Amino acid sequence: MSSLLSVQGLTTTFPIAGARVPVLREVSFQVEAGRCLALVGESGSGKSMTALSVLRLVPRPGRVEAGTVSLAGRDLMGLSVPEMRRVRGREVAMIFQEPMTSLNPVVSVGAQVVEAILLHEKVSAEAARARTVELFRRVGIPDPGARFQAFPHQLSGGLKQRVVIAMALALRPTVLLADEPTTALDVTVQAQILELLRELQAESKTAILLITHDFGVVNQLADEIAVMYAGRIVETGTRQDVLRAPSHPYTQGLLRALPGRAQTGERLQEIPGRMPQPADVPSGCPFAPRCPEALAACSDWEPRFSVLGTRRVACLRRPESPVGPTGGTA
Amino acid sequence: MTNEPPPVEPLVQVRDLRTWFPIREGLLRRTVGHVRAVDGVDFDILPGRTLALVGESGCGKTTVGRSMLRLTPATSGQVLYRGQDLLGLSERELWPFRRKMQMVFQDPMTSLNPRMRVRAILEEGLLAFGIGDTASERHERAAEALKRVQLHPDHLKRFPHEFSGGQRQRIGIARALSVEPELLICDEAVSALDVSIQAQVLNLLGELQAELGVAYLFITHDLSVVRHLGGDVAVMYLGRIVETGPTEAVFNGPLHPYTQGLLGSILSADPDAPRTRARVLGEVPSPANPPSGCHFHTRCPHAWAPCSALVPANLQRGLLRVRCHLHDPSVPQARTCD
Repeated sequence: MSSLLSVQGLTTTFPIAGARVPVLREVSFQVEAGRCLALVGESGSGKSMTALSVLRLVPRPGRVEAGTVSLAGRDLMGLSVPEMRRVRGREVAMIFQEPMTSLNPVVSVGAQVVEAILLHEKVSAEAARARTVELFRRVGIPDPGARFQAFPHQLSGGLKQRVVIAMALALRPTVLLADEPTTALDVTVQAQILELLRELQAESKTAILLITHDFGVVNQLADEIAVMYAGRIVETGTRQDVLRAPSHPYTQGLLRALPGRAQTGERLQEIPGRMPQPADVPSGCPFAPRCPEALAACSDWEPRFSVLGTRRVACLRRPESPVGPTGGTA
Repeated sequence: MTNEPPPVEPLVQVRDLRTWFPIREGLLRRTVGHVRAVDGVDFDILPGRTLALVGESGCGKTTVGRSMLRLTPATSGQVLYRGQDLLGLSERELWPFRRKMQMVFQDPMTSLNPRMRVRAILEEGLLAFGIGDTASERHERAAEALKRVQLHPDHLKRFPHEFSGGQRQRIGIARALSVEPELLICDEAVSALDVSIQAQVLNLLGELQAELGVAYLFITHDLSVVRHLGGDVAVMYLGRIVETGPTEAVFNGPLHPYTQGLLGSILSADPDAPRTRARVLGEVPSPANPPSGCHFHTRCPHAWAPCSALVPANLQRGLLRVRCHLHDPSVPQARTCD
């Protein structure tokens, strides 16, 4: 397996009313070095739970029931707790939506980055400090020497997110997990941060697992897209293929519902109903009750992936591919 | 010209509205300055039409809506409702106007009382304004209001937590419309909703406007939503409206560099479009200490000497009104080199 991060058959459950209910069901994807895979979906689709499962941070009483996560060929599910802790932060770094949740409010931002470096690497405090100032400069923090001393509350939202990015990149991770990294930011600042992430990725060859609900953000950063619905991946493919010609009825519906695509004043395409809660996911295809193309069979049979070139689609209405199940993976 | 439509009387005219918040310091809590959240704002809302008020966080767009309803006291200016200034009225005199201007908030979970059933939530406004003579008539009206937002009358018996986010937002809209307002102020009303649900609510708002002729003041940061709504748009930056006009015209040919930057920041989902480059650098400065002259000059790619010295005048340019020295022939123009 050549992929840097490879996830196979990941299934995570929570106990609901005495039964283990899956919140993720057989989620599989790969991310190559220097590439960005976007997990896209609406709230409740399981995209953040996927990230938590990969990092083995699923909150109790939830647990990963099945599946493998391998990072550069090593199985993360088999690591001891201290080994896993070393992986987090050092090899896999994280950026979350709200920068204040990742920053300590009573420690200066510079000291927080220095602490992260010293925790994982045997370098002098001086060297860690110099690297931090250099990182701050690199992520576009103006006057990085002075800002080193600043406390989080003294910085704007955009600057705080730049600090979080600097901290995430401090240990030169091989994988960056970015969960809605620009959702809390103003639009002009969002454009700046996305441009920064793109530049940093081109330089460092870090693999990015981007988690977002926003197809605009996906289009800015992703190379591949995996669309999630009710805890499953329903479609994967390259950014161009999925956005140009979405195949799964859910992906099609999501893209048609975007207000930017319709003419002014024209009715938006709606997807009727709403995403089911994990305990209420219907049998068969979970999207069938909302799907404009659903047949009776869709409620009886769980769709398998059909493979069309680099595209995989889990839908009974899409033709089975002649390529076979080994043909394409995300 | 006999073919020209008669001029439409504006429903609401906002004139030179200012809402300043005092900054207090020290033991005696003396006022040492002001946050000029809204600093001289003018616009008209026409009956049955939509005005979108768009801007980034801290620009004052929410304070404008709250000041119009007198939820936040304005410092000076006028809010004329069919010619009547609301800011000078007593609470008692204001009461009938409260019925005419209703609000829908961003987060329906915090704006619906969790301990009241939907029926009580919908009937509260009817009772307050004396609509419906009997309990059964009010019940009927509440059921009617739910049907109008495509919910089932059976839902009257339930509590807010039993609904999804999109359904709760429909209840918020039903409550606001139940007292038959002429203006609905929607403050980020679809921002917290998922794409597929947002489309449902936007369509519903469009249908209700066509059916009831209600005007919308749509406060939002989301430019795609603004474009979809149509009508007119006013772009706010640090307490001032920098550009306003018909939405179509503003999107097709924005004049103010800030509007140009905002529109350039829209992230397209079109895979064949070039990726967005950040057009406006830096972030919005603090409204407690805004830059001199044109507030935008610290981030503007075209700024030159007059921009930091003079507040730009409000100029009519074709269909648009813009506050920018670039478009003012009375200000000496310098060559801008990129």
